[in-house]
Parts: sequence; structure tokens; C-alpha cells
Amino acid sequence: METLLQQTINGLSLGSVYALIAVGYSLVYSILLFSNFAHGGFLVIGGYICYFTLKSLGFNIWIAGFASLVGAGFSAVLTERLAYKPIRERTNVTLYLLIASMGMSIVIENIFVIVAGGRFRALPPVIPTHPVHIFGLATTSAFDILSLLAAVFFLGALQLFLIKTKWGLAIRAAAYDLRTAGLMGVNVNLLISIVFFVAGFLAAVGGIFLSVRYTLYPQLGMITIKAFVAAVIGGLGSLPGAVVGSLILGLAEMLTAGFISSQLRDLVVFSLLIITLLVRPQGLFGKNISEKV
Amino acid sequence: MSGYTEGIIILLCINAIAAMGVSVLTGFTGIFSLGHAGYMAVGAYTTAILTVEYGVHYIPAILLGGAMAMVIAYVIGVPTLKLMGDYYAIASIGLGEAIRLILENWQSVTRGARGYPGIEGYTTLYVSLAFFAVMAFGMFNLINSRFGRAFKACRDDYIAASLLGFNTARYRILSLVISAFYCGVAGALLGGFLSFIQPIMFDMIKSTELTSVVVFGGLGSMSGTLLGASIITLVTELFRPISQYRMLIYGAILVLIMVIRPEGIMGQYELGPRLFRRLKDKFSFRNRDNSEGRSS
Repeated sequence: METLLQQTINGLSLGSVYALIAVGYSLVYSILLFSNFAHGGFLVIGGYICYFTLKSLGFNIWIAGFASLVGAGFSAVLTERLAYKPIRERTNVTLYLLIASMGMSIVIENIFVIVAGGRFRALPPVIPTHPVHIFGLATTSAFDILSLLAAVFFLGALQLFLIKTKWGLAIRAAAYDLRTAGLMGVNVNLLISIVFFVAGFLAAVGGIFLSVRYTLYPQLGMITIKAFVAAVIGGLGSLPGAVVGSLILGLAEMLTAGFISSQLRDLVVFSLLIITLLVRPQGLFGKNISEKV
Repeated sequence: MSGYTEGIIILLCINAIAAMGVSVLTGFTGIFSLGHAGYMAVGAYTTAILTVEYGVHYIPAILLGGAMAMVIAYVIGVPTLKLMGDYYAIASIGLGEAIRLILENWQSVTRGARGYPGIEGYTTLYVSLAFFAVMAFGMFNLINSRFGRAFKACRDDYIAASLLGFNTARYRILSLVISAFYCGVAGALLGGFLSFIQPIMFDMIKSTELTSVVVFGGLGSMSGTLLGASIITLVTELFRPISQYRMLIYGAILVLIMVIRPEGIMGQYELGPRLFRRLKDKFSFRNRDNSEGRSS
């Protein structure tokens, strides 16, 4: 019973970190309709900026965290401007964007292999990880609770941004139809830049928490595959779907690790993906994907 | 011939066979897969186990490796190929990774993540060249046959194709099964070349590489695929001294190709008399060429 409660909390905490990544990925998908494989790169950029501002410049976690989020946001915008904008201005074949994004993910990963080296780095102990007892029922680390709270905070802020602001309205409109939104007077290029900034920003939050949970290394971005899986389970392009999918995935992973075997957790993740695609390909919250002739 | 040159030629043949397999699926049938390294792994492990544990001769073992990949592709393909576009691409990542994880965890048969050593070095220069020649011959015949035209019809407009009476679902599965066979044989040859295989060799990066080779060469051009596979293999060999920057350059090339010439080196054309005729027309009647040619 205690293990169950403990693994549930761990699962929710891991799932909330996935949610931060999956939401940004889903947001980009809902506007441009392609899978941005470079999304993991934004996460790695965030992690390394945080690491170097803490280690080399000696700032505290608040400044380092802020620099990391904004830095990752701008590098996401830069990625879009360099690699995706020339393509999407010329054609509407999303396949080309998909492949360019794979190229960008390889580029970002290897920039860090060259600049920072391929070794594993541990972030300085800036986020408390001491054990916390919950009403005497279970023991968990403060870090798990903090990452859950941070995810709730940032996802809430995103929701407010999308509902209350003018740009949020424009983004929601563009998610229905980018072309029509453009014809209604929305500055599409600025809108796409804002979407990428938000995606990079949220990915960096996830990146910082992931590099505390595991360690920081250039291939950390590969973990976004799980966020993609979560986004597909929830329904591609749907933000509540991405959050719910991430939580399901985090729980499934941690419960498998706790009760069966930690080697099988990735296999469970991919089986969940395949089962979802077979039973309900549009995902839990997805729009109906039947194509019109 | 020095051992090094020989090794490069063998590697070229192996990569070309695998790329042809992905090309028939991605370039000709329009199904985008990011998990084909999984089929290479199936072929490699089947052949390795057959030759090492059961002492089967390598030629039937390689063919059985390809057949095993076909069987798995069929079992996976029947339910999942109903998915279209990005959904299949993401599903195929899951499928490829699932195959790799099963190989990693099935200790008693595959010896797990540490790899499978002691495979007989059966992939000599002549074996790989012979396999390449036979399979390339088969592939070029296939894409010019009734089946090849049906694949292209599924790619260009699957709704129109099914209205014309093509069983598109069947052709999509057929295309996947054929491509799995090519990848399985390529994986089996790779195992014989390196004498050692490991699940991590067949991860998502390898799958991405296979697909990007096809896109680099030109979607819908088999000779473009061969050209792309040769260029990528040779360039990676060329940059081996500065191996740190190799992957960086590779990624940058991928982005640049998409930005500058997304249709790939060859576009949809094949190397041959028709291409030269078209080029000649293009350069002699400059104002008439707009009606034809770059319509893709």
C-alpha cells in the first residue's frame, strides 16, 4: 500500500514534467501540423544554460532558472526562423518540416557534445531533495512535490495566457485554421514565433527538473519521445489531452517500475502508444481525424 | 584492394540495400517510417542466432532473417497501417523502439544489451556485391511493374486509387513487407560484416538515418536513393578523422537540403536516358519547360 501511494506520487511528478514538454510540442503541432523533433533540443539547451549560469557564473537558482527559460525560448524562435520558416514559406508539405526538425535535433545535440562534452553532469543541489513524510502514509522526496507544483503553476499560467490575452485568442484561432487567422489580420510570423517561444520556455522548465531527476547530458532530449507518446495518447494538438496523456504515462511508468521491473517501463510506454493508436487513433481528447475528400 | 576500401564497399552495399527498402515504402508508397532499424535488428539477430546456435549456412540464414523481418512487418503492419501520415510515423517510432527493447530484455535468446558476439564473418566483398546486385535488380523491376505503379498511386492519391479499384490497404502492407525484407537482409549482412551486433546499434537514430538518406536522394527515385546512400556513407567515412563534428555536419546537411532543395538530389526522376532527354529539352527550349518537369 505504501509503495502504491509512493509510486503514484512519483508517477504524477514525472508525468507533470512530461506534461510541460508535451504541451509545448502539442502547441506547435496544433499550429503547424508537424511533429517537431527538435523539441528535445530546447530542453537540453535549457538544462545547459541553467547548469552553466549556476556553475560558472555562480548565480542563484532563480536567476539561472529565468535565464534558462528565456534562453531556451529564444533558441526555439531562432530554430524556427533558421530552419522552418524558409520551408513553410515555400511549401505546405509538412514532411519537409519533419525532416528539418530531425536535422535540427541532431545539430543541437551535437553542438553540446562538442562544446560541453558528452559526459554526464549533475546540477548543483539547488532544488531540495530531502525526504518528506506525507501524513505518515508515505515517504517521498521534496523534489517530487516541487516539480508537481511547478508544473501546475506553469500549466496554469499557460492556460491563463491562452484564455485571457489577445495573443492567446489568436493562437487558439490559428489552431483551428492558420490561414484564416492570417487573413483575419493576425501576424502569422509573430504568432508562430510566440508559440515557439512558449514551447521552448516550457521545455526548459521540464529540462531543469529532468536534469535534477536524472543527470544532464546531450542526449537527454531523447526523453521527449515519451512526451510525444503522451501527446499522441491524449490527442495530437490538444493541450488538455497532452496533460492527461502525460500523467497516464508517468503513472504507468512508475507503477511498472515499482511493481514489475524497471527495465520494462519503456516497453510499457510504447505498448500504451500502440494500443491507443489501434483502439482510438485520435487519442483521448483529439479531434476526429477522418480526412475530407 | 586494401581491407579499408573493401570495408567501405561492403558498407556501401549494406546501406544501399537498407535504403532501397525504406525507399519503396517512403518514396514510392508515401508511408513515412521512423522505425525501420527495428527490421534490420530482426534480420541481424535471426541470422546471427541461426548461424551461431544452429549452424545453418549463411545464405539461407540471411534469407530467413529477411523472411523473419517480413513476418514481423506483416503482423505489425495489418493493424497499424490503417493510420495515416504523422500518426503512422509516431507509431513506427514506438514499434522500432519496442523491437529494440524486446531484444535488450530477452536475455536468454539475444544475450541482452551487451550484444551478440562471435558471428561468423560471412559478409565478404563478393557476397555483399552479389546480394546488392540481385536485390537492386529485383527492386528496379518491382517499381516498374504493376505493383510499383500501384504503390505510386497509393502515394499520390490513395482515395482516387481506391476508387479506381486498387486495394490500397493491401498494397500498403505489401510495400511494408517488401521494405522489411530488404532491411532484414541488410541487417543480416551488417551482422556478418561486424561479427558483433548490439540492440543499441538499431535505435531511432539509425532509423532516422535510413529515412533521411531516402529523402536526401529524392522521394520517389530509386537511383536517387542509391546516390543518396552512397553520398551519405562516403561523407561519413570522409569525416571520420574529425568524428566529433561528423554528426553535427550530418544534421546541418539534412536541414540545408530541406531548406534549399526539399525534393532531394534527383527529385522524382531516375538516372537514365529519360532524364538526359529532359535535361536537354530544358536547356535548349528555355521558355517551354515550365509546363513539365518540376511539378512535384
